[in-house]
Amino acid sequence: MADHNPDSDSTPRTLLRRVLDTADPRTPRRPRSARAGSCALGTLMWLWNLRGTGLERLRARRALLETASPRKLSGQTRTIARGRSHGARSVGRSAHIQASGHLEEQTPRTLLKNILLTAPESSILMPESVVKPVPAPQAVQPSRQESSCGSLELQLPELEPPTTLAPGLLAPGRRKQRLRLSVFQQGVDQGLSLSQEPQGNADASSLTRSLNLTFATPLQPQSVQRPGLARRPPARRAVDVGAFLRDLRDTSLAPPNIVLEDTQPFSQPMVGSPNVYHSLPCTPHTGAEDAEQAAGRKTQSSGPGLQKNSPGKPAQFLAGEAEEVNAFALGFLSTSSGVSGEDEVEPLHDGVEEAEKKMEEEGVSVSEMEATGAQGPSRVEEAEGHTEVTEAEGSQGTAEADGPGASSGDEDASGRAASPESASSTPESLQARRHHQFLEPAPAPGAAVLSSEPAEPLLVRHPPRPRTTGPRPRQDPHKAGLSHYVKLFSFYAKMPMERKALEMVEKCLDKYFQHLCDDLEVFAAHAGRKTVKPEDLELLMRRQGLVTDQVSLHVLVERHLPLEYRQLLIPCAYSGNSVFPAQ
Amino acid sequence: MALSTIVSQRKQIKRKAPRGFLKRVFKRKKPQLRLEKSGDLLVHLNCLLFVHRLAEESRTNACASKCRVINKEHVLAAAKKSRG
Repeated sequence: MADHNPDSDSTPRTLLRRVLDTADPRTPRRPRSARAGSCALGTLMWLWNLRGTGLERLRARRALLETASPRKLSGQTRTIARGRSHGARSVGRSAHIQASGHLEEQTPRTLLKNILLTAPESSILMPESVVKPVPAPQAVQPSRQESSCGSLELQLPELEPPTTLAPGLLAPGRRKQRLRLSVFQQGVDQGLSLSQEPQGNADASSLTRSLNLTFATPLQPQSVQRPGLARRPPARRAVDVGAFLRDLRDTSLAPPNIVLEDTQPFSQPMVGSPNVYHSLPCTPHTGAEDAEQAAGRKTQSSGPGLQKNSPGKPAQFLAGEAEEVNAFALGFLSTSSGVSGEDEVEPLHDGVEEAEKKMEEEGVSVSEMEATGAQGPSRVEEAEGHTEVTEAEGSQGTAEADGPGASSGDEDASGRAASPESASSTPESLQARRHHQFLEPAPAPGAAVLSSEPAEPLLVRHPPRPRTTGPRPRQDPHKAGLSHYVKLFSFYAKMPMERKALEMVEKCLDKYFQHLCDDLEVFAAHAGRKTVKPEDLELLMRRQGLVTDQVSLHVLVERHLPLEYRQLLIPCAYSGNSVFPAQ
Repeated sequence: MALSTIVSQRKQIKRKAPRGFLKRVFKRKKPQLRLEKSGDLLVHLNCLLFVHRLAEESRTNACASKCRVINKEHVLAAAKKSRG
């Protein structure tokens, strides 16, 4: 085994060769282990040569000591292969290494494996610092030397699959897996070293890092070094949207004093702030269908709203109030963020007509709310904030400003004085009106929000609560259930709908349910039963003309109901001579 | 349960039947009666068809009056028509 490349101090292969030639096997257990031992020594040697610092030596030693499994041997050989690009220096060091005592304590396989593991893949990829001089020919040479060196050398030139390793080394299948793992690790380390420092001390540092990596469990240090590679599940923390929005608000709102003014007149000082950031989280779950949600909210709120507020507010009052609120809101719009205002203008233009129509309702509701008292304005304020959010998702600042601003109708004087220019009249006035549109629907959710907020102002998202604090048992769940069908109505209609139209739909549904129950009662009584059965339902639908001789009930069930319900309704035969549902 | 896929209106319609709501309504209105197990599903089916017809009719009315938005008058007229 002559030196094929006399100039190749750098190749670990040559070093290995020298070691093999010179050194006697430390562990005279088995031939291959002896060889492995010498190879391990050689790898150790080149490792140390590469690093050239005592620290690395220590670390390498530690690595060797720690890893004790013979299976790592082949992995180590792979490291050798990688490291061949580095310049290895002298054999003297190998002698020194050989002299070191604690190497002997480990099995050569483990030592080699450790070396391979710890060696940073700086080898091929870390060019500059260490040694450029690893041209391809050197890579070629090891392949030439393969034949002589046997299994270890086979691995050195390329990263051959573990199967190509010496059969003795790879007898158990587990070794292959380990090798692959080590390969992967090396690849990771390689990439790690690559990514982090390509330069001078990178060599040592990467080695250190890789050494550290291999010392501990492989996964953990990776996560420390490269969070992206961490295999642990990322700690998920619910986003504190409220805090985020609060920060936004604090930074974005130009005139903080105005905000303070807005919140002043209200009995609950924190109404303003929690309202602000609570309304914003509602943005994500409010879809793009403003009409839908406005309708939904409106239907929900119209009931409680009507209950709460005295219905007979004069128009002029509402007009005046509306304008005041508008001006105030406009002022805020202008002050808070002109950009966001402009963003709102565009989506608002579409629904301008609707906005106009709904203005009066809004105005009425606004005035009513202001008349009712603290609860009203607080709700309005939240409604405003809420609607602001739904209206213009982007303009958070605006929503925040408008929320407290619009609601402070009571203290209009102070507020309006604070609100400077209602700059661009039309678009912003439209904006304001649009915002006010949802005053009605919003107060209902706003009330719930308000009730929850004072309790936990810091919480961002509150679980959906009953909308009103008024007559709870009857109306609220009733309205909530009806809203489902109202949404279906607007879905089937495929056209934008007015809020009043949706209210009308609600009334129709109420009447419909009443009629339905009466009919079912009659049918059941006619059949002498006290329980309403599906036959009664079928008779009802037949009378309605939905079920005919051509169209049976099952056909309708199949058409309109989802699969799970179909299975419950239509008797179907299953295996075992059973029919479900039982007839 | 089944959520509808995105439809043209970018809206997701829940196809679940509010069974609890229906049962409660029936109990409130007719406490002396009992509703059978799958009866509320058929009631839900009935509601769906009713709402569907009402919506179609309202839509027709709105288009007839050349409005782009469905008004309460349209809905009212549709209700009158279906109920007589």
